[in-house]
Amino acid sequence: MNNDKIKISTRNLNVYYGAKQALFNINLDLMEKKVTALIGPSGCGKSTFIRCLNRMNDVIDICKVDGSIKVDGSEINEKNVDVNKIRERIGMVFQKPNPFPKSIYDNIAYGPRIHGLAESQNVLDEIVENSLKKSALWEEVKDRLNQPGTSLSGGQQQRLCIARAISINPEVILMDEPCSALDPIATAKIEELIDELKKSYTIVIVTHSMSQAARVSQNTGFFHLGKLMEFNLTEKIFKNPDNKMTQDYITGRFG
Amino acid sequence: MNLVILTLIIIFSFSCYLFGKSKILNTSRVSGKKFHSLPEYYGYYLAAWCGLPALIILFFWSFSELFLVKIFILADFKTDPLLDENKLNLIFSEIRAIAEKKFTGTIPESLIPYSEKFLSINRILELSKLVVILSVIIFSLTFAYSQILKNIRARESVEKVIRVVMFSCAAIAVFTTLGIVLSLLFESIKFFTSVSIFDFITGINWAPGRAFVRDASVQTADVENVFGAVPLFWGTFFIAMIAMSVAVPIGLFSGIYMAEYSSRKFRKIIKPLIEILAGIPTVVYGFFAALTVGPFFRIIGENLGLDVSSESALAAGVVMGIMIIPYVSSLTDDVINAVPKSLREGSLAIGATKSETIKKVVLPAALPGIVGSILLAISRAIGETMIVVMAAGLAANLTINPLEASTTITTQIVTILIGDQSFNNPKTQAAFALGITLFFFTLIINIIALNIVKKFREKYE
Ligand SMILES: Nc1ncnc2c1ncn2[C@@H]1O[C@H](COP(=O)(O)OP(=O)(O)OP(=O)(O)O)[C@@H](O)[C@H]1O
Ligand SMILES: [Mg+2]
Repeated sequence: MNNDKIKISTRNLNVYYGAKQALFNINLDLMEKKVTALIGPSGCGKSTFIRCLNRMNDVIDICKVDGSIKVDGSEINEKNVDVNKIRERIGMVFQKPNPFPKSIYDNIAYGPRIHGLAESQNVLDEIVENSLKKSALWEEVKDRLNQPGTSLSGGQQQRLCIARAISINPEVILMDEPCSALDPIATAKIEELIDELKKSYTIVIVTHSMSQAARVSQNTGFFHLGKLMEFNLTEKIFKNPDNKMTQDYITGRFG
Repeated sequence: MNLVILTLIIIFSFSCYLFGKSKILNTSRVSGKKFHSLPEYYGYYLAAWCGLPALIILFFWSFSELFLVKIFILADFKTDPLLDENKLNLIFSEIRAIAEKKFTGTIPESLIPYSEKFLSINRILELSKLVVILSVIIFSLTFAYSQILKNIRARESVEKVIRVVMFSCAAIAVFTTLGIVLSLLFESIKFFTSVSIFDFITGINWAPGRAFVRDASVQTADVENVFGAVPLFWGTFFIAMIAMSVAVPIGLFSGIYMAEYSSRKFRKIIKPLIEILAGIPTVVYGFFAALTVGPFFRIIGENLGLDVSSESALAAGVVMGIMIIPYVSSLTDDVINAVPKSLREGSLAIGATKSETIKKVVLPAALPGIVGSILLAISRAIGETMIVVMAAGLAANLTINPLEASTTITTQIVTILIGDQSFNNPKTQAAFALGITLFFFTLIINIIALNIVKKFREKYE
């Protein structure tokens, strides 16, 4: 992992919900065009962490984020940074699929329209088609682009949300338990998709499934009670972790 | 007398409850017998058997009492062919007034014996009522007591009783509504026998006062064309539209502000404050409109060289709009809050700004609910009376000038029915026709609105 480029790095990241501290001194480097998996027991702060990376915690009034988050070497955890630009570069896919109550087409076209990425209808059509192809949904929906996005199945909806995230061509995609509401077949499809996407995007995925983390990621971080206990190559973490707790968690003796 | 009996029934029932409960407690303690239900259910069981039959009899008896007396008393007068229904009623109420010592003026000698008869019949009826009710109580209590000793499933019986009681309450509400609608319907049908529906719906001349001064010698053709309700429909619609053009923008934006921008603390203060607007009595709005807003508009109009009457559709509409703001704003706020947070986050995560998110995701998603809330507000505006009576005047003008006096369906109903009226002329019956028209309008709007809101809820819950 030495000759890889660092995409995002956090230093001394502390997060508070009101008086309650949710993350303690997180120092973590995310490699470009790699998949990083974050694992850990429920409530340990995984979601809180990835929501810091695109400043989604700004939405929560009581949440305070302290410390440094650098994307390509420039600080984003500062007041005068344009959050919307950050989120344009760092997309997010949520645990529960959340398509807008609009047509499939408009769901994908939403981002490009807002950011003015398509000068003409043709370009927009192309963006929509490409995003849907990249998220392996095109074949299933190409004849029904005008139907509401909510009419799709759960797995299709999640792929639609991934397509929506990549429609504006971000650099990083954050995924918070993207498969937790899906069946094994839909999950397999998304995992395949992640494998494909990592060629062009840096990906962070939060998951409760050890096997999923092992399958899709190159690096893995283990969180416990708001602390980053261990961060290393996925292979190392799953074969021979340094930390006893990591070992216990992975083997299911804990949490 | 009724009050005494009612008190008695309540006291009896309560003591039955205590008695039943302690009886079962004691029995099971002394004999060690296990009862099906908890002791208090046997108490409730006894109390229900003691109270309910007695109450039902009391209710129906009291209703039919006066009816019975009337039949007895008027039997003597029935033979006189000169007396019609109305006169008979009059005689009976005189007799009753004499008996109850409420008669004003000189008492007609001829009626005195009847009033004495009235009193004695009444006394007999009251006494027998007491006896009947007491014996019913004793009878049903003996039955219930024998039942609880047999260890019946009191808990289940009590459950049944509760269900029946609740059902009767619901039924009363439904039947009352039905009764109101039917009486509206019957009176309107009477109205439409003397005035054609077509003239009522399409006529543009509304002057029921003129129908009243005429006597029967005038041809019906003349009566018909003073009941053209179009100016009222128009006035209602017009004033409601003015009100909505005030209430919708202000309500909508304040609702959006409360739901999306204000801090939680601010919202907690401001929302009840806005809702106070809906709690102010409409009369207060009425004189606010008539004494402040109306003259204010007139002065402004004068300065602009416009001719504004001090009673204007504009004043009434604007004040009504203010009153309706909370209907729109609170519902908008609720509906927007019901849009799931995940949709907002989805939009923000793509890099949309807050206002873009609201405009392109939240509002479209909330739209059905918002439309529903606006429709509810419209039906409120259509039904509003007091403000219009006080501020818009009574003139049934067919005009699109908001600065002139105007009138609405509700206002005309009030004007028609003010003062003593006989119920048999078309003028009074016109009120019922108007009433049912209004009822019909608001019913349709409400059904549509509630359906839209329901669909919206189903989508997100
Ligand atoms: N909006 C919030 N307000 C207050 N506390 C919060 C909020 N969101 C999270 N927390 C707290 O922060 C801690 C970390 O929560 P977080 O959601 O990041 O956990 P997680 O690791 O994602 O758990 P899970 O695996 O169950 O999703 C928890 O203790 C939680 O109670
Ligand atoms: Mg989480």
